[in-house]
Amino acid sequence: MSSPNPVTDSSPAGSIYDLGYRHYEGPRRGRIWAMWSLFVESLRGVWGFGRPMSAKAAPFILGGLYALPALFQLAFASVLAKEISSGSGTELMTYRVYFGMFYFLVIFFCVAQAPELVCRDQRYRVLPLYFTRSLSRAEYALARLASLAAALFLLLMVPCVALFVGDILMQPDTFKAIGDELPKALPALPANALIAAALSALSLTVSSFSPRRAYAAIALVAYVLLAEAVPGAISAIGRNSDWTWTDKLFALTPITSLIGASDWFFGQTLNPQEFTGSLTADAYVVVALMSVVVFTMVLLFRYRRLPA
Amino acid sequence: MALIETSGLTKHYGQVKALEKLDLAVEPGIIGLVGANGAGKSTLLKVLLGLLTPTSGSASVLGMDTVRETRAIRQVVGYMPEHDCLPPDVGATEFVTHMARISGLPRTAARERTAEVLRHVGLYEERYRQIGGYSTGMKQRVKLAQALVHDPKVLLLDEPTNGLDPSGREEMLDLIKRTGTEFGITVVLASHLLGEIEQVCTYLLAIDAGHLLSAAPISHFTQRTPVLAIEVEEGADRLVAALAAKGARAREDGSRVLVAIESDALYDTVRDAVADLALPLVRMQQERGRLEDLFRDATPGAVAR
Repeated sequence: MSSPNPVTDSSPAGSIYDLGYRHYEGPRRGRIWAMWSLFVESLRGVWGFGRPMSAKAAPFILGGLYALPALFQLAFASVLAKEISSGSGTELMTYRVYFGMFYFLVIFFCVAQAPELVCRDQRYRVLPLYFTRSLSRAEYALARLASLAAALFLLLMVPCVALFVGDILMQPDTFKAIGDELPKALPALPANALIAAALSALSLTVSSFSPRRAYAAIALVAYVLLAEAVPGAISAIGRNSDWTWTDKLFALTPITSLIGASDWFFGQTLNPQEFTGSLTADAYVVVALMSVVVFTMVLLFRYRRLPA
Repeated sequence: MALIETSGLTKHYGQVKALEKLDLAVEPGIIGLVGANGAGKSTLLKVLLGLLTPTSGSASVLGMDTVRETRAIRQVVGYMPEHDCLPPDVGATEFVTHMARISGLPRTAARERTAEVLRHVGLYEERYRQIGGYSTGMKQRVKLAQALVHDPKVLLLDEPTNGLDPSGREEMLDLIKRTGTEFGITVVLASHLLGEIEQVCTYLLAIDAGHLLSAAPISHFTQRTPVLAIEVEEGADRLVAALAAKGARAREDGSRVLVAIESDALYDTVRDAVADLALPLVRMQQERGRLEDLFRDATPGAVAR
């Protein structure tokens, strides 16, 4: 052992400010607190808080782009409010169609940020530090999943709020406008919650199979493109050869089925030009809920198998 | 109650027998866990942490079973893995605070403990910089800090000096020694370097191919064989013959002669023998037993298995 030298020894042992080691006597919380802490940290991480500026670029640019059309409508509404007598006639975008128009930005967001949540801990082998604490593997995976779902829900809700504000500004009587708009806007909450849950389960599960961010992103893009395109192609063949079951394959599409499911919340029947399959909106809701369950189970299975 | 106890602890990975019927009872202190690479050190630590379920037998830490009371154990155990385990894109403060919260510390306590522990391991201004830019020595300190931050009663360190240069190694060992002696935290230090164990530990567990080779206080090994080492510039063989003629047990070891010290009269015998032969004597010193002997003496069967 080195003898403490007050001049050269930089260790705190030689410093008069050192109070010595103190034991921690305070409360120790359990797994709920650990999950909540991981959830908060992940949610901050998805949006790049507590990380370098470069980590904030992707989520904020994509989130900004996704909200941009709604913000434009909001800006027009506030400028033109007095000149337009009846507001609803000028609407380009409604709560119902918004995701269907700009879903690709949401997918990009998943591709950019889901690997961030699950690949990093595998690649840099941080997982053993979690698993030797109060968190079990399943709790870790569920906290991560919940944080991505929450981040996606925020992303999806920002334009809806902007549309809501814009619609109200366009009408002369604000209180009456809120009363009129609210029933139209409220279905956006459960619809976006379902979209967020389904997309986060899908993207986190696919990403969790690779410790490398880039591979996870490529796998995710490949999965979404294939799952979106193949059922349409097969059902097109099927229609020429009297196979009726091929129309049901649209249940496997990640995006189309979610657009269909969100239509159900707005009380709409599906637009036959967009939905060529034979599934109804009810069926798409069931499909979306099932996809959440199935992908979450695969995720838990994956985390049970990961070496610590 | 022993701090760490195992009885008949066995862990097999398929055909590989990582641990084989291990019986241990370890008292508080700084415990060196020594063995060659692949001897089962890491496996034992992981079983104690509840990361691995034993194939048969049982293990307990502070009287708590590692399988049934895993969560309770983890609140009082800190673990520093052998490998890198730090994300590069956050600062040390942020990361250690996060780990403290995952361990169950409330927000404010997590911040305070982090500041304290990082100061203890010797990270100052750089603790706000991103970990990716740290040197290996600084990373090892952060790894130790995250294991200490929730004030564990037992600290399990897996090769904590891996990848460190000699001075970094000294500092890390010094830190471990202070942690063990001044804070009253029991440290289990797994290492394949006997020198390190000898330097800081009070108790030694040696395992080889999953078997317990020996378990005893370190002094037991280092004082076992009182031997006088005599270094002469020439004529070592003649000295051995002369000493043997006078009834001392002597043997040649390179340029040195090793004699068993059976009584104080031996020193006189050696002096006379050297003087009689007029040998150029360089040095005489009492040789202490070294930990290497432990492995040298191991039966070939135990090593081969």
